[in-house]
Amino acid sequence: MSWRTSLLIRLRPSPALLVSAVAVLLAFGMGALLIALMGVPVGEAVAAFADGAWGSPYALAASLNRALVFMLVGLGFILAERANLTNVGGEGQIAVGGIAATAFALWAPVAGLPWGLSFVVPLLGACLAGALWGGIAGVLKVKAGTNEVIATLLLSFIAIWMVYGSVQSENLLRRPMTSSATLPESLEISEATQLPLLTGDASMPLHAGLLLGIVLGIVVAVILRRTVLGLQLQATGLNPRAARRAGMPIDRLTIGVLCAAGAFGGLAGACMLQGEQYTLKAGFSSGYGFDGLVVGLLARGSVPGVIAGALLFGFLRSGGINMEMVAQVPTALVVVIQGLIIVTLAGAALGIQRMEARKP
Amino acid sequence: MIEPELAAVFIGSSIRLAAPLLLAAAGEYVSERAGVLNMSVEGMMLAGAFAGATASWLTGSPLLGLLFGVLCVLPIAWLQAFLSITLRANQIVTGIGINILMLGATTLGYRALFGSRSRAEIPGLDKWAPPGLADVPYLGEHVFTQTWLLYATLLLVVGIAWVMRSTATGLAVHAAGMSPQAASHSGLKVRRIRYGAVLFTGFMSALAGCFLSIGDIHTFTEGMTSGAGYLAIAAVIFGNWKLGRTLLACGLFGAATALQFQLPALGVQVPSALLIALPYVLALLAVGGLVGRQVAPTALAQPYAGR
Repeated sequence: MSWRTSLLIRLRPSPALLVSAVAVLLAFGMGALLIALMGVPVGEAVAAFADGAWGSPYALAASLNRALVFMLVGLGFILAERANLTNVGGEGQIAVGGIAATAFALWAPVAGLPWGLSFVVPLLGACLAGALWGGIAGVLKVKAGTNEVIATLLLSFIAIWMVYGSVQSENLLRRPMTSSATLPESLEISEATQLPLLTGDASMPLHAGLLLGIVLGIVVAVILRRTVLGLQLQATGLNPRAARRAGMPIDRLTIGVLCAAGAFGGLAGACMLQGEQYTLKAGFSSGYGFDGLVVGLLARGSVPGVIAGALLFGFLRSGGINMEMVAQVPTALVVVIQGLIIVTLAGAALGIQRMEARKP
Repeated sequence: MIEPELAAVFIGSSIRLAAPLLLAAAGEYVSERAGVLNMSVEGMMLAGAFAGATASWLTGSPLLGLLFGVLCVLPIAWLQAFLSITLRANQIVTGIGINILMLGATTLGYRALFGSRSRAEIPGLDKWAPPGLADVPYLGEHVFTQTWLLYATLLLVVGIAWVMRSTATGLAVHAAGMSPQAASHSGLKVRRIRYGAVLFTGFMSALAGCFLSIGDIHTFTEGMTSGAGYLAIAAVIFGNWKLGRTLLACGLFGAATALQFQLPALGVQVPSALLIALPYVLALLAVGGLVGRQVAPTALAQPYAGR
């Protein structure tokens, strides 16, 4: 077979891709209908959406920065998914990552490190915190047989409130109170600890985390498709008993892969903090982890799927915010569209499986 | 020395805060016993709170609000059942999807209907104290004078306990969650039982949502459940899939929530975030096996391919 035909076969849309595309289009159609029902001219709303999503260098950068967060959480999700583990703890892993990144960045010795190290150390700290958070679920799974879905979900809620707690107390991360009006938030992290902007220009604030995201995307794709580790994870997921019989350290794999998924979430939290927000606030990650989880779910185990989903959700978020400001369409509409996409695709999963099974 | 009045207020508000959790958790208990991990309680509660508040505001009758709340949530519960039972979709995904959908839909609906009239007072359910108990000093006023829905909740829970323990229906629900194959062989219609259980969870979640909006604070706010649905699921896990223990868990969670309002009044400095997170920490310890062995229904969250 020539490379041309093999490429053509690869490009033939799979049932999954077709169904996903139809689901997304249907959800968008529903969104347009709701906009019309609210009495807003649909054209105006769509223009505002496009403008906010990719209409200016600033908007494009904001969308891509958001997409990066979703992508990182999604990559962690599909990595764990390969071992048949469902990590729904992205939200909490982002939260502990954000706390750790802030703590490291505000720690004087770190901020004083030579350029480069000064922002890498907080990133690593966030990875470690995320790995620990994911690892708890892994250890509980191995030692107590706890369902990782329930554990990671509970850990998420704990972590969300940890962010609140850490910015409420002056002994922790709250900025020193100068007046009663001082908000419960951390000090701004120093410039040396912020992720550098790729363009070096604040009118397009695309930060260096994107490069990291691309590298990690390739790494995950290679691990899943070409390495023994990927195979071991799959074996663990398909039949843990057989995998154990074959001599695979499935306990270690389980804990390790949940740690890795957590580290991805922690990194996502660090990117939000060191790349965009610079100040830790309560609720700084509002829903990013759950969106990332959905991106991972919809990707059906493929890295390109994660990237496509992350871009979709990144543009949806940015466009939605602008649509509210310019055309007075509540951002809740975008939330409805997301919900519709998830529900439709989840419902179609069995059908897709059957179609794929029938394929030669 | 804690003043008796303060203690009575604390007990009363613990019970009041536990009641919506208990309604949702008792519903979730039935669904999980039948083998369906119903993650959409949060969304169904929110929808119930919104629909209940809207109808109560429009008609002026909180009772009609309650009725409308239930009627609006049943189709959502049916959607959850259809996706997870008939289409055998991943129960976690569908649950979270429905929660996101409901968060968006209720926020959108709230803006469209109330808009500038937000913060409008909504006619709420009447308060009532059982005769005789109303006159007990301190307790009568702060503990026993509660929305009548609270007393109905207790009756409902007793009813569920009786049905689950002593009737054929209860036995069938247990069987569907423990061993759907065997249940099916002995002539039970597993899918139908699971549909019923999920619809019942919808009914209970709707009441829980209405308790929040028209029972407790007499208004609707965007995303007002803020995790109460997940807390109800945590209560079922913490209760080790037993109704009595789930009730205790809800009481504990209610007290933890009440503490965060009470401690500042007592001058105790505990970060409120810590107290809000406490129920989740307790639930995590429980699922981690620190509170004894957990025995989940064996077929929980597994779709059943047969009839």
